[in-house]
Amino acid sequence: MDEEVFDAIVVGGGFAGLAATYRLAQAGRSVLLVERGATCGSKNLTGGRLYTYALQALLGDDWREAPLQRRVTREIISLLTEQDAVNIDTTLGSAPEESYTVLATPLLEWLAARCEEAGAMVVTATTVEGLLVRDGVVRGVKAGEDELEARVVIDCEGINPLLLERAGLIRPLDPHAVAVGAKYVYRYGSGEEVDRIFGVRPGEGAAVLGMGAVTRGVFGGVFCYSNADSVSLGLVLDSVAWKESGHSLLDTAEALHEHPAIGRYVAGGELVEYGAHLVYEGGYDTLPELSGAGWLVCGDAAGLCLNRGFTIRGMDYAVMSGIAAADAVTGALDAAAGTGPLGAAALSGYRERLEAGLLRDFRATRGAHDWMAATTDLFTVYPQLAVDAMTGLYHVGPEPLTPVASTLWRAARQIKKPVRTARTLLKGVRTL
Amino acid sequence: MTRPVDVLLAATRFETDEHHPHIVIDPVACRTCPSDRACATSCPAQRYAWDDAADVMSFDHVGCLECGSCRLVCDRLRTGAPGYSWDYPAAGAGVSYRQG
Ligand SMILES: Cc1cc2nc3c(=O)[nH]c(=O)nc-3n(C[C@H](O)[C@H](O)[C@H](O)COP(=O)(O)OP(=O)(O)OC[C@H]3O[C@@H](n4cnc5c(N)ncnc54)[C@H](O)[C@@H]3O)c2cc1C
Ligand code: SF4
Ligand code: SF4
Repeated sequence: MDEEVFDAIVVGGGFAGLAATYRLAQAGRSVLLVERGATCGSKNLTGGRLYTYALQALLGDDWREAPLQRRVTREIISLLTEQDAVNIDTTLGSAPEESYTVLATPLLEWLAARCEEAGAMVVTATTVEGLLVRDGVVRGVKAGEDELEARVVIDCEGINPLLLERAGLIRPLDPHAVAVGAKYVYRYGSGEEVDRIFGVRPGEGAAVLGMGAVTRGVFGGVFCYSNADSVSLGLVLDSVAWKESGHSLLDTAEALHEHPAIGRYVAGGELVEYGAHLVYEGGYDTLPELSGAGWLVCGDAAGLCLNRGFTIRGMDYAVMSGIAAADAVTGALDAAAGTGPLGAAALSGYRERLEAGLLRDFRATRGAHDWMAATTDLFTVYPQLAVDAMTGLYHVGPEPLTPVASTLWRAARQIKKPVRTARTLLKGVRTL
Repeated sequence: MTRPVDVLLAATRFETDEHHPHIVIDPVACRTCPSDRACATSCPAQRYAWDDAADVMSFDHVGCLECGSCRLVCDRLRTGAPGYSWDYPAAGAGVSYRQG
């Protein structure tokens, strides 16, 4: 029987699962990955900006062969009112090659092929229905008629961790720690059109982040990324605040197309996909258990995604947590005598690796989520202020001119309690 | 200019299992919704719609994007109340992204 026990079974072929699988296969371990989608990538959706240090950590220099879209050289933050916008626009062509725009489906398909080349077994179109738990120890997974056994299960099932919740291994997902995202992809006839829309050189890319009236006062934002020959446009909204607002999500997403500062990025493109997915935005204090007897959890399922308003980072953390899990498992397998499941103590090295690694970012941004969710001025007052100041500066009419100082003063006076506002801002910025 | 949701969903590929809904609600019990019918406003695919004439919630699992939003905003789906359950579609069925 023992030859049928895998060293590891990985549930879910997203960024976390494929990273863990690749790393274990490379270390010569027998690893089975089970993905419910028809292919790895077919169930996955992201906004679309990937920080490449993570790919480099996983693949070494081979990361350059991955199907990425465009290197981000232009960052645009757009402060939006109902009709107007003030953009903070940059050209950072001299910046190091730090991040690329990506589409999740082709990238994950490519990663799955690398896993198979490295010797992993990848089974798709198969939904894991439950974890095999005996005597409080996870020993494998149930899928259809099959019970598949492993010395450890690495759970990478994404933001709805049904398996772990149902097995009672982690606390149920807290709606307060979640945002909902909707996304459109528009294709153009050529890459040159995308160059022109974003004002970038061939192959270079832009990342637009919009905040303000477009989210109807709710913590959230709009993202827009240039792909090779398409554009990704979407919005992310805090789930609970959205529920309370009573607005229709779809109408709000559709209204983006009417906003002069946003709609222009997708005008004339052909809609080739509409999708939606949840985004984790909890933080250090909402992290679940990260491992136990016979199991570990990575990526979104572990809450390892940070939404700081101006960036969302989940893909790089998914990859890094997959690597950390695989390394912790390899270490535990090397140290363990016999062929039984790995116990909780043997796997505790995973948390240590994360604490010394990516969890530093989570500790540093403690409280950021609550601050942004509570500070709705960020999405209403400040964008309006920026627009009013700019409108005032550039307004010329028949009446006598207004000196710059009084224009700015008039705009600033709209802030009701300037001292308190400054204090709130300062407090919040410290958490970001 | 909100486009009908069907126009948007037509751009996305689905391998639907027409006969086995992965999400189950009780359309009549929804009359006493404890969650402000948040399913209807929060579903990015508009799968839920209150039917005034019949006084029931209508739900169509075909076209569901499997995001999980309704699982969280609806207290009954979240807690698995009788007549309510939320799962992923079986074996490869459901939404099938090509861009992601
Ligand atoms: C709108 C939006 C914008 C975002 N923007 C960014 C961004 O710009 N940059 C960034 O870095 N991150 C971004 N993120 C976050 C990022 O996309 C996620 O954090 C990341 O994709 C998580 O990867 P994962 O592998 O943990 O989960 P997933 O990619 O969700 O993978 C989970 C996998 O598990 C499979 N699965 C689930 N249950 C089972 C089961 N029972 N059996 C078998 N298989 C199963 C699923 O099919 C899926 O393939 C964004 C997310 C959204 C939704
Ligand atoms: S939120 Fe839940 S209970 Fe309420 S109407 Fe929707 S499905 Fe029914
Ligand atoms: S999972 Fe998402 S797309 Fe599907 S019905 Fe629920 S809210 Fe709508």
